[in-house]
Amino acid sequence: MLFPTIDFALFFAIAFTVNWLLNPYAGWWKLSMLGLSYVFYGWVGWSYCLLLLTTTVVAFAGGTWVHATRDERTRRIAMGVSVGALLAILGWFKYYGFVSVNLDNLTHAVGFGRAVPLLQVALPIAISFFTFMAISYVVDIYRRQLEPAKPLDFAVYISFFPHLLAGPIVRGTELLPQIRRRRDPESVDYSRAFWLILAGLFKKVVISSYVSSAIVTPVFTSPTQHSAPEAIFAAWGYAVQIYCDFSGYTDIAIGLAMLLGFRFPQNFDAPYTARNLQDFWRRWHMTLSRWLRDYLYIPLGGSANGQAQTVRNIMITMVLGGLWHGAAWTFVIWGALQGVGQSFAHLRRSSRERRGLPGVAEGPVRAWVQRFLTFQYVCLGWVFFNATGTAQAFSVLGRLFSGWGEASPLITPLLVVAIFGTLASQFVPPLRVDRLQAAFSRQKAVVQVGLLGFALLGITTFGPVGVAPFIYYRF
Amino acid sequence: MPDGPTPPHHVNWESPEEFASSPHAALAAPEDGRVRLPWTRVLALGVAAFALWFLLYAPTLQHNAQVSPVGTRRTVSLDVTGPVAALSRALQLSHFVSITGRGNGLSGGAVGLTVAGPRPANPPPKSGPPPKKGGTGTTTPTTVPPNPKDPTAANPLRVLIVGDSIGIDLGDALQPNLAGTGVVSAALDGRVSTGLTRPDYFNWPAELTADLKAQNPQVVVVMIGANDAQDFLGPPDVPYTSPEWNTLYSQRVAQFMQIAGSGGATVIWVGMPPMQSPGLNAQMSDVNAVVQQQAVKAQPPVIYLSTDHTLGTAQGGYTPFVTNGAGQVVNVRTPDGTHLTPGGGQVVSQQVIAELQSLGYKI
Repeated sequence: MLFPTIDFALFFAIAFTVNWLLNPYAGWWKLSMLGLSYVFYGWVGWSYCLLLLTTTVVAFAGGTWVHATRDERTRRIAMGVSVGALLAILGWFKYYGFVSVNLDNLTHAVGFGRAVPLLQVALPIAISFFTFMAISYVVDIYRRQLEPAKPLDFAVYISFFPHLLAGPIVRGTELLPQIRRRRDPESVDYSRAFWLILAGLFKKVVISSYVSSAIVTPVFTSPTQHSAPEAIFAAWGYAVQIYCDFSGYTDIAIGLAMLLGFRFPQNFDAPYTARNLQDFWRRWHMTLSRWLRDYLYIPLGGSANGQAQTVRNIMITMVLGGLWHGAAWTFVIWGALQGVGQSFAHLRRSSRERRGLPGVAEGPVRAWVQRFLTFQYVCLGWVFFNATGTAQAFSVLGRLFSGWGEASPLITPLLVVAIFGTLASQFVPPLRVDRLQAAFSRQKAVVQVGLLGFALLGITTFGPVGVAPFIYYRF
Repeated sequence: MPDGPTPPHHVNWESPEEFASSPHAALAAPEDGRVRLPWTRVLALGVAAFALWFLLYAPTLQHNAQVSPVGTRRTVSLDVTGPVAALSRALQLSHFVSITGRGNGLSGGAVGLTVAGPRPANPPPKSGPPPKKGGTGTTTPTTVPPNPKDPTAANPLRVLIVGDSIGIDLGDALQPNLAGTGVVSAALDGRVSTGLTRPDYFNWPAELTADLKAQNPQVVVVMIGANDAQDFLGPPDVPYTSPEWNTLYSQRVAQFMQIAGSGGATVIWVGMPPMQSPGLNAQMSDVNAVVQQQAVKAQPPVIYLSTDHTLGTAQGGYTPFVTNGAGQVVNVRTPDGTHLTPGGGQVVSQQVIAELQSLGYKI
């Protein structure tokens, strides 16, 4: 079920009412929330619920096994087997088709028969997100950072619908305690929640959709027909599109959870204000960044074993992070670019600190130069991320060298405002959003209804008919 | 919480440590100035705001329902939005939407026709009825007209590709392949969820007429039909399963072929591939049968390219994997069992290019 649909609005009205009516009855609340979350997930295909259930059972059994085992070596094996099983499920759905076709062509090329059956495997939406949460649960128990949850609590934790489809990736230590306790029905932080939901809808429905259709799709579809300035605006435009799409989704998810009395961790923090790639990844998809850090980078050795190994670990982490998005060379290149950028930032900071300098050069001019260069580098990565193949990516980039002097009809004043307005919003000094929310919360009910109703009207009027699914649903 | 000013997108979050350590119920009373409300009042507020929006936006919602696919969902949507839209119009509230000048979103620039490949040295002549032989034209050509079958970068072959979502799958491969020859200017106009049975939703004949005017193509490639096995809306409605449906659909297809070839272009119609769903597969067989019949009747005849074997088994059945011309196994269908993967688009693209070459086009 997509957030920006009437179907979901009706669903959420029911879920909101059930959530608070059953709030005093913990068992019934959990059962109802579990049922509602499975309805939410199964809306596009009921068979997918079986996958969600399987992942839940495997992770819960794994966590229980790890916790019940005393011997450290056996604990490690139990953790490894459980995580391996979860990764096997993910790998089957995400990579089997790609691997089987390539393996088949390889075995035929060397004169052997079919190595593995060719199967068409549908990729269920959200599988990566709930698999990551399941893995973190097992590993946290192994690290003795988390006690095993009760089965029903754990099932609600994995399937809770506000985060289910595209995060944020919430840890057991963050969400399980909230599931266990009653929420205060007299104190709903509605003004912040409505702000997040409406801001998220505006970013997704209006900005992201517009920029996509105005410049990104036309240029990426036929790069050779567009000028160098249009190619540059398409790359910048995609940076705005994916930010508004993904951060819009998580804003809505966090706002919905807030209305239900839950708090989710922050997932974006003005990423295009970053001054280097390490800074960027502290601000972009923050719950994935910390997941990769805690469950991949640090187990690989992190930065504990010298510069060379640190760079190696950064590269492995980011290339695997790229491959997580899909089995394609474009994602490998995107991940490698992130790794190179982060390694450069790490080495530069280390070098400066060895010389007794601050980790990042100071001064407003340097800061703006760093921000500008970082943004361009991030956009270079986005070209590969959005391209259907490396040929398309290089075709877009090739226009930067050959497309000057041609007309650029796609660069309109409205597009410039949409792109630079979104980027500028990350730098604007205080507009006191908190004060706006507080002021809204003190208005009379009739004024609040009017403001909310007309805000919704504006979003639906300026958005396209039929909103495209969120980009991150497919990951 | 951060001490400094906060930009508008920013929310004052707890620090990670605070988030992890402080249970929700144990948090101190917030001092952020925001009033909290009981959930019942929040529900009332949300429902009232939604009702206001629904009242203001109902005419647009009703229109969207009217052009949606026939079925229970459309019927229920029309039943719900109809009375509210009538009330909205009676109260003249729909004015709030119409003052924006639209009601269906910001226009996104060049969404329709995209052109790839070399630009003609001279703009394509405006479409229109071809000059009659021995006519009374006042101008005399001073150069020999370029031979479309022997295109050059200066005088490229102009190809127009039109289609529904499966046609887009083909076009996404065919357009760059043709443009990559350096001697073809390839235009693509693809529209998802469209077809020839629901002009109230998308008017393909009008769109094609506009595309012909813009591109003046010498070849038109059509791949439309995936959404066509549905009732014609009346009054009176013509159910898909009725005998009248075949007659009406044949007329629509014939009309579309006539428009496509009206400027003298060679028309190639690519048939729908086998589908995984037996029901949809049978429907596509019906659609393909009508197209094949009309292709033969069209004057000049339209070339029908079947994809039953290029994208199917030897028996013409559904398969997600085929072996391409280079002997490699390719996954040609997306997991929905309907659409084409990029590899599938390539397979059909090569089929179309081979057909053009067999017709004598040197590309």
